[in-house]
Amino acid sequence: MSLNRSFFVPLDSPLHRLNPLTKLTFVFAMILPAFLSLPAFAPGMAIPVLIAVFVGGVQRQYRGLLFKLILPTILFMFFMQSVFLPIGETVIFQLGRFDVTLEAMQTAFLTVSRIFVMVSSFAILLLTTHPGELMSDLTRRGLPPQFAYVIISTLQILPQMQAKAQTIISAQRSRGLDTESTFLKRVGAVVPLVGPLVFGSLVEVEERAIAIEARGFTSTRPKTSLHNVPDTNADKIIRWIFLALVILSLGGRIWLS
Amino acid sequence: MNITISNLHFTYPNGVQALRGISLTIEPGEQVGIVGQNGAGKTTLVRHFNGLLQPTSGMVTIGDWDTRKYSVAKLASRVGYVFQNPDEQLFSRDVKTEVAFGPRNLGYSSEQIQSQVNEALAMTELSDKTETNPYDLSPTWRKMVAIASVIAMDTPIVIFDEPTTGQDAANIARIANVIKTLRERGRTVITITHDIDFCAENFERVIAMSQGRILLDGSANEVLGQEDILATTYVDPPQLTRLGKRLRFKKTVRTEEEFLAALRG
Repeated sequence: MSLNRSFFVPLDSPLHRLNPLTKLTFVFAMILPAFLSLPAFAPGMAIPVLIAVFVGGVQRQYRGLLFKLILPTILFMFFMQSVFLPIGETVIFQLGRFDVTLEAMQTAFLTVSRIFVMVSSFAILLLTTHPGELMSDLTRRGLPPQFAYVIISTLQILPQMQAKAQTIISAQRSRGLDTESTFLKRVGAVVPLVGPLVFGSLVEVEERAIAIEARGFTSTRPKTSLHNVPDTNADKIIRWIFLALVILSLGGRIWLS
Repeated sequence: MNITISNLHFTYPNGVQALRGISLTIEPGEQVGIVGQNGAGKTTLVRHFNGLLQPTSGMVTIGDWDTRKYSVAKLASRVGYVFQNPDEQLFSRDVKTEVAFGPRNLGYSSEQIQSQVNEALAMTELSDKTETNPYDLSPTWRKMVAIASVIAMDTPIVIFDEPTTGQDAANIARIANVIKTLRERGRTVITITHDIDFCAENFERVIAMSQGRILLDGSANEVLGQEDILATTYVDPPQLTRLGKRLRFKKTVRTEEEFLAALRG
């Protein structure tokens, strides 16, 4: 019985009040320079991203994501790239028969910075934007509803499957399934858990398809929205500023190289 | 086997206080119906009986076992729990294997498993469907498979979470029959339900919950007669009980027999 079915944290922060498109612009204004501009930019982009976390008031939830998802991933990648990238001359130390070079570590650091910026800025978007609001705003601006549906269902499916998996685990444990003790028993416990999860998800997909079709999803007539997503002048100004920053940073790259 | 709950409090990690001080004893062989509005804490309460939830404070004991000291898999030998949605637990290729899953987990001998499975299948009228894939059955029969899979564990206590939701009259009668058989065998049956007629017809003791507390607890006639208090947790007494009140019967009635007796007397 999970109450939270998406990443969204309902709060009233300056970031929450922004139009979804503005936040999406923010995401790309962070990602594009990190990937395409000067390498020195990439780690620097972490600063505005972290400031945004505080402006949005979602520190606690972001910290959860950081420790459970982002840090483990980037630490693993940093390690793998530092050890296995066959580049560079300046050997710092040796790990078994692999040379760890300064150049490989620099490349690894650049990669993980980029990933950090990308994942974190998307996390901020998802934490501060209700998925429904994001999609209704984007479809209003001309995004095909099919495309919006694919995105929104992807955003929602993980927390939903998590909730479903939790119920299945509870039901099978209530039937005496041992999911806690030895490793072997845990492995054996997979089939009773995965079976209902996969089957149930397939059934759900079909039911959802019927439900949205019943509401005229593929109808080609113009659609109205129950929900009016505000788009203020401030939003427009912020978007232009972000766009200008992106162009500047990319231009800087071309200029300087 | 006794269920003893003393001053049980439970708060979900998101801060929702679901139970605010529940004390309760359920004697062996009792048939208890739990009613109350959505969010009253019914499911949260019964999930403490088999350790799926652990008290924030207070204590739940099943016989001589404190639920905090035993795993859910262990407690499954004492408390069977039929979940609301059968599709969230069925995974085997045929009904028989599915029903045998619980008793096998509990480590019974194969003859014992065989006899418990057959008995559970007979009780749920599934004996002619043993080789069928559960997903080839209709949803109502899948519900019976889920019930059989818990009955086959032969636990002294059986919990049903909303057994009649989405079921047709024939299947509700089957479920009532299962509960009656369990009663005859001296099992404790605890049922959460919104189906107040089902509750009135099948349970001697009724507990009404509201906002994490017990509002009423007593014999079915006593509890279901308190129309005003039940209204605070959005429960309507059964139609016959309300009709009896309108006809100014002195006693609260709940079944057809009681109603007819009061009408004649």
